[in-house]
Amino acid sequence: MSLHVEEAKTPGRAPRMTVSIGIAVCFCIMAVVVICALFGSSVAPDSPFTQRLEVGDIPPSAAFLAGTDLLGRDVLSRVIYGAWTALVGPIVVAVGGWTIATVLGLMAGYLGGWVDSAIMRWVDFMLALPAPLIAIVVVGVVGGGYWTAVMVLIILFTAPDTRIVRSAVLEQRPRPYIDAARALGISKTRILFVHILPNVLPLILAYVVLDFAFALVNLAGLSFLGLGVEPGTPDWGRMLFENRTILFTNPVALLLPAAMVILTAVSMNLIGDWLFERLTR
Amino acid sequence: MSGRSPAAPLLAVRNLAISAAGSAITTGTNFEIGRGETVAIVGESGSGKSLTAKAIARLLPQGVTATGSILYDGIDLMNQPERDMRAVRGRRLSMMLQDPFTMLNPLMKSGLHIAEVLRGRPEFRGRAALKAEVAHRLGEVGITDPDVAERMPFQLSGGMSQRVALAAALANDPELLIADEPSTALDVTTQAEIIKLLKRVQQARGMSLILITHNLRLAFSTCDRIYVLYAGSLLEVGTARAVEEDPFHPYTLGLLLSEPPVDKRVPKLIAIRGKVPRADTVMGRCTFADRCDWAKDECRAATPPLAELAPGRLTACIRRPEIAPEMRALRGAALDHAAPTPQPESATQPIVRASAVVKDFAGRQGRVVQALKGVTIEIEPGESVGLVGESGSGKTTLGRTLVGLETPTRGKIEIAGIDASDFAAMSGSDRAATRRTIQMVFQDPYSTLNPRHSVRRSLSEAIGTIGRFNASEVDARVAELLREVGLPEDYAGRRPSSLSGGERQRVAIARALSVNPKILVCDEPVSALDVSVQAQILNLFKRLQQELGLSYLFITHDLAVVRQVAQRIYVLYLGEVVEYGSAEEVIARPQHPYTRRLIDSIPR
Repeated sequence: MSLHVEEAKTPGRAPRMTVSIGIAVCFCIMAVVVICALFGSSVAPDSPFTQRLEVGDIPPSAAFLAGTDLLGRDVLSRVIYGAWTALVGPIVVAVGGWTIATVLGLMAGYLGGWVDSAIMRWVDFMLALPAPLIAIVVVGVVGGGYWTAVMVLIILFTAPDTRIVRSAVLEQRPRPYIDAARALGISKTRILFVHILPNVLPLILAYVVLDFAFALVNLAGLSFLGLGVEPGTPDWGRMLFENRTILFTNPVALLLPAAMVILTAVSMNLIGDWLFERLTR
Repeated sequence: MSGRSPAAPLLAVRNLAISAAGSAITTGTNFEIGRGETVAIVGESGSGKSLTAKAIARLLPQGVTATGSILYDGIDLMNQPERDMRAVRGRRLSMMLQDPFTMLNPLMKSGLHIAEVLRGRPEFRGRAALKAEVAHRLGEVGITDPDVAERMPFQLSGGMSQRVALAAALANDPELLIADEPSTALDVTTQAEIIKLLKRVQQARGMSLILITHNLRLAFSTCDRIYVLYAGSLLEVGTARAVEEDPFHPYTLGLLLSEPPVDKRVPKLIAIRGKVPRADTVMGRCTFADRCDWAKDECRAATPPLAELAPGRLTACIRRPEIAPEMRALRGAALDHAAPTPQPESATQPIVRASAVVKDFAGRQGRVVQALKGVTIEIEPGESVGLVGESGSGKTTLGRTLVGLETPTRGKIEIAGIDASDFAAMSGSDRAATRRTIQMVFQDPYSTLNPRHSVRRSLSEAIGTIGRFNASEVDARVAELLREVGLPEDYAGRRPSSLSGGERQRVAIARALSVNPKILVCDEPVSALDVSVQAQILNLFKRLQQELGLSYLFITHDLAVVRQVAQRIYVLYLGEVVEYGSAEEVIARPQHPYTRRLIDSIPR
């Protein structure tokens, strides 16, 4: 018996990764931040800790491109070294928060029943808390600075993220390919991690990037309040706090770290949006 | 406008070419419709039929552009400013769309959809007059219950929504109604009612009607003239009767032959090979040449013109005069051919026995919805059983219950002698054995495969559920499965996104076959496919049954489909089996009124 074979045509079109100029600029900014964070010691013109009390705070000059702060430390070098805390904390928050959220969201969405209820009631409780206030109180009372702040943010971020994963899972669960896997007797764990997870992962990846931006702003805010890094550490948020008194003698010492926070956060936001559109379409 | 001669067509479309992002969707189509005439534009998915309709009303989606001329009663619609188009839409020509559930605004009462249109007319000023007119309009589409005007769209059934949408489309008394697949999303019996209503309204008003459909039979039974559209170009034009009696184009013939007949079983459907191409890939030649058995080099040399071979009979087939006798002979052979329905030797023990199965679902506000009210069915080994019913009849629930995707509330299910009423309560080995016995094929080809897994991965995972194999054994089995369902072996490396609907359904069948099951539960496996592809898949099911001795439970709303594959039929209505018997018996001499309605609703 002859059977007609459908003609092969239009091989699956991979999502085209077209990059607009705006997104290209965002990637460049992030590349600069990453290079500063990883190779700060070779990039920076000076040590961020060398104090020159006799110099004091001076505006930008040939010797100090961004001027110096109250203790005579080179502002540019401090901004370059500050990229480290601006990058590491937010990455840990975004990746950590989403890892927990993914596991919880997959379980809540796929298993349903009491597991779903328990997880979602916890989420509701967490969402009822005023997140920034909680962070301030916990870090203030417990102490521990930067890494305590990172841990608190992970827990605070997990709640809304769990909701997003759960709803994405609920969208996949009734699809026939899940039913087909169930009818074949494939285990729940395998369905969750081999079948559902790859289909919700693009969405998660896009949100991880967005959460990075939120975490950066939050951590910088806590540092500004003196609840983040140790005094003396080069950190953009901390620099805002330390240099607010020299706004009129060396405005660059304040504006440069502020600009870096804004540029990095906006870049990551735009990259996140761009990824979201590419990956979830 | 009344001064115009009645012979001039109401709508004349010339060289309408639609394109999106530089690639052609239709290439220079010409058609016209007279006053009071009904015309069908018939085409499969990707033919450009819906966009043609939208182009006439100048409602093309963003990024899609049209060139050519559209003359409506002397008005050039193509160059009409948008503001003037608004006066044309609704008043002069009106549209009715496919999906009744998204066509009405979910926040507006159904009566308001009609009142909204009527409000602009001075004769219905005032609340009372408006209300009376809405009631009158609903009456015209067969809704006599005045409460319906006060209901929200979600409280209406599909057929009811479609009636309200029709009343709204007619509210400004258009001279031309364009109905785009108005019945496709509805149940079979409702489909027939809507089409009958459409025809009645058209005749009562003397209105012109363009029916856009993929269903050739429906077009024949409702329309005066037929335009056959394929991959963006017109292939055949003629009166419904002439086209039905003697189609001029091989594609039209192929469509007619691949439609499964309801009144008899044929040994093998004559399927058109291949799949519908994208219009821009077949430009500058006969668009159908790649799938045509009569195609020669001359067909691929240039775009064949739509030539008039007889008065009002046009075809784009340049070889028609030569091949006419062959085409007629093929048609004649297909019409005569009937195969006896094979009967399985009355077997020992049924492979599936479901007795008094009840399935309750929790409905809104703690109410219980009974999807199955004590259903008993039996399937013999090697037998193919049809389960027919409309949406809400519980047919899908029954199928899912048999493969263990749902657990029945009460009742007993036995599969190959094992009690499979509750998969969760079975012993591990029994459950595994049952899953090797019974597998399922789902309706929607687009989500039946994991979009992130290659064909090889989907199949090898299924193969892995029945034992441990090394990589070369798995590869060999994957290749064998692909061969079995008629796909080339190199498809193993593909992702679902690069497969057509028919190909995906073949992979899904291969996946179900990978555990060597004895019975397949097929839930509307062909209803989402184009007619020409549907026949290929039905042939595949038939061949697999002969080669592998499979049993089927074929769940469908389509009696013609079931006639081709099933030996026995169960008719399910509101969760109960209302009739069962051999396929011939049930279709030839239906006993239950619902079965009779089902058979009457097939367009003839």
